[in-house]
Amino acid sequence: MKILMFTWEFPPLISGGLGMACYGMVKALLNQGIKIDLVLPTKEMVYFPMRKESDVDTLPAIFVDPILHSEYITNEFQTVQERLDFIGVTHKPETYFQLNEITSYISQFQSEFWQATSQTTEERNVWDEISFNLIGDEDLIKKVQEYTIRAERFAKILDYDLIHAHDWLCYPSGMVAKKIAKKPLIVHIHATEFDRAGGPGDERIHKIEHAGMTYADRVIAVSQYTAQMIMSRYRIDTGRIRIIHNAFSVPEDMNSEKLRIFKDPTIVFLGRITLQKGPDYYLDVAEKVLQSHPQAKFIMAGTGDMARKLLRKSASLRLKNKFLFTGFLNRKQVERILRASDIYVLPSVSEPFGIAPLEAMAYGVTAIISKQSGVSEVVNNAYKVDFWDVERMVDTICYLIDNPDICLQMGAQGMIEVNRIQWDEAAEKIRQLYASVISESLKSSKGGF
Amino acid sequence: MLNIVFYFQVHQPYRLRHLNVLDIGSKENMFDDRLNRLVMRKVADKCYLPTNALLLELIKRHEGRFKIAYAITGVAIEQFKLYTPEVLESFQKLVETGCVELIGETYYHSLSFLYDTNEFLDQVAMHRDLMQKEFGYFTETFRNTELIYQNRLSDLIFEIEGFRTIITEGVDRILQWRSPLYAYKNYTKDLNLLLKYYKLSDDIAFRFSNRDWPEFPLTVEKFTNWIDQLTLAEKSNRNQFLNLFMDYETFGEHQWAETGIFKFMEHFPSEVLNRSHLGFATPKECSTLANYQQEGLSFPDAVSWADEERDLSAWVENDMQKNAIETFYELLPKVKEHGDPVLLDIARKLSTSDHFYYMCTKYFQDGDVHKYFSPYDSPDQAYIYFITALADLEERMR
Repeated sequence: MKILMFTWEFPPLISGGLGMACYGMVKALLNQGIKIDLVLPTKEMVYFPMRKESDVDTLPAIFVDPILHSEYITNEFQTVQERLDFIGVTHKPETYFQLNEITSYISQFQSEFWQATSQTTEERNVWDEISFNLIGDEDLIKKVQEYTIRAERFAKILDYDLIHAHDWLCYPSGMVAKKIAKKPLIVHIHATEFDRAGGPGDERIHKIEHAGMTYADRVIAVSQYTAQMIMSRYRIDTGRIRIIHNAFSVPEDMNSEKLRIFKDPTIVFLGRITLQKGPDYYLDVAEKVLQSHPQAKFIMAGTGDMARKLLRKSASLRLKNKFLFTGFLNRKQVERILRASDIYVLPSVSEPFGIAPLEAMAYGVTAIISKQSGVSEVVNNAYKVDFWDVERMVDTICYLIDNPDICLQMGAQGMIEVNRIQWDEAAEKIRQLYASVISESLKSSKGGF
Repeated sequence: MLNIVFYFQVHQPYRLRHLNVLDIGSKENMFDDRLNRLVMRKVADKCYLPTNALLLELIKRHEGRFKIAYAITGVAIEQFKLYTPEVLESFQKLVETGCVELIGETYYHSLSFLYDTNEFLDQVAMHRDLMQKEFGYFTETFRNTELIYQNRLSDLIFEIEGFRTIITEGVDRILQWRSPLYAYKNYTKDLNLLLKYYKLSDDIAFRFSNRDWPEFPLTVEKFTNWIDQLTLAEKSNRNQFLNLFMDYETFGEHQWAETGIFKFMEHFPSEVLNRSHLGFATPKECSTLANYQQEGLSFPDAVSWADEERDLSAWVENDMQKNAIETFYELLPKVKEHGDPVLLDIARKLSTSDHFYYMCTKYFQDGDVHKYFSPYDSPDQAYIYFITALADLEERMR
């Protein structure tokens, strides 16, 4: 079985949970004998033929241009990073979480190209959604346009049984490939624009998301929570939705040994400081906990568009030196923060899945997670609270501070539980879905439409 | 007779490293030694050494008729000893001439007067001891950090043996119709008050090299003529005091050598001394020179020499500054109680007012000045580093 996979993130090209999820998923799929050609938003026009498990770390690449490719293979690279630099894989992809600066619309997209081959009205409508909405002047939209145009090349030269596209940035590419190769398409929803924006978000992205889900043969949702969102907000036929929860693979070099920064109870928020993640609720919780437990230390780790506002607010609440900001942290620093924490709080307003709490639990940190998250569907050894229920979070944290034994016990149980949530199980479900979609499409010459 | 009273502020803070939560408990140095050494070296070469050499030369040339005063903070002296001992020696040579007055202040250039009276008195005593030890000098004039003054300050200073004069800013809202050119008394008439003549002080300190200033370029003759005109209003032979107070770093650092600031300073004393009714004095001399009944001035609220507002808003206006300074002064007694002299020394270095100045968010004209003096990218970062330092300090006591 051979898959053409489009994703915007894959380590080291990573800015959020998507890259980590794709990494674990692809690795587990390779283990099941599935071959994957991976297409990333690289500077050079390359794809990554993944054949064995270790390929997820070495990222073997093939240049579409044969001359460039021969130049590439004769090049002697000392490190993987050096090789990836040559290909044009950056460490930080443009984040696609904040598209709030819509100023002018410049139609650069070739709407005729899309419409000429359309057949049914229904299909034309879907393509219209793409061509009318994948326009804009932002760097990100331009990158997606470029990526989509490239998809046509990959769709023609590569050989595959099915197309798998992750999140809206890759939906247009998946659709193009399906159109050209007449192969079935699976789109994978890691987050919708409603989640990312913590509100209505960008209309254009909704339209692209809707088009992708409509045109796909199957839609994978990372949680029940996300499936509900797809049904209610995007009106996608429930029969085409499959729920496959994400998993978390404990890194081999992980050091989960406890390390204390503060002798007193330490509570941590770790993630982008942006509306979706509910950092303002965390600050409210901290203020209230500190009233009864002034010895507690609250850490706000990460960066984001709300960081400055919350910093100023924490000062105005006079939280003294009990509420600390770390700024940007690299992976090693994240590990040290988690090792030094007792309680992890994820008050996300809307979290399709949320790998971060699993990571915290892997370090034995007791997790308090928002009920509005997919991850709350898969773990039992964590406290689950509505994101807006500040009182409940305060009570929980105070209870854990007053009962350190219970906090430790919950952390230890969570650690055991997380170690059981493996990608293999999720990958098996994905493999089965691949198989059934492929056989379905062979039986019906029409494909999805 | 009009006496020109030069007082120069010499100060360098201990700047903090870019502290992160992960540094807490590492027991590593919180201060950025590398940056502090770099700044001290740079300012020594551009300002302290050449200016001290010039002023020493001028004092010798004018045989006791050219006089100046300095306030040198304890943290500046400490850093001279660490990084540029030759600067301290050159100050000692200046003091030996007898034409230099040293002014007392808080050792750490702190805002302790506003928050912790005992700490304030401790830091004043530490500074006086330091002046005795390094220069063999007993201070008689006091200036509070950034010329911050209000009635309560004079109460405290009067209680300390030996201080007879306080210097502060000539704030319009206090002076109203009065001239800053006369020696005044504090509100209880126990101490002399000398008030900064901010217009002419700032002409040198801030406007000297400003090409947009209509009076550019400022020549020695022009400046001395302005001073001359100030004497015209005085018809009854009362001794006047023109108090030109500024940061010492004005010379060569804020105003580079290329602007001609050294040339200006070199020729200014002779131009003054050529005019019979002009001369130089140091602050403590005002008590003998004031040949009139000195009016008592009341300062119900705090004033300072900073920014347009001339109040405390440069240090304690926004929430970051208030949370930082309130947390600090809540922590300080605990550090004293804890008893570790190393931690107390760190804490006191954190009391330096510059840390709070870096957190100022007044981004208008004055904000530019704040930005110029800040080693950090933004007030928010300055706040993060400071609060992290306080968390670290507290953790080190446990």
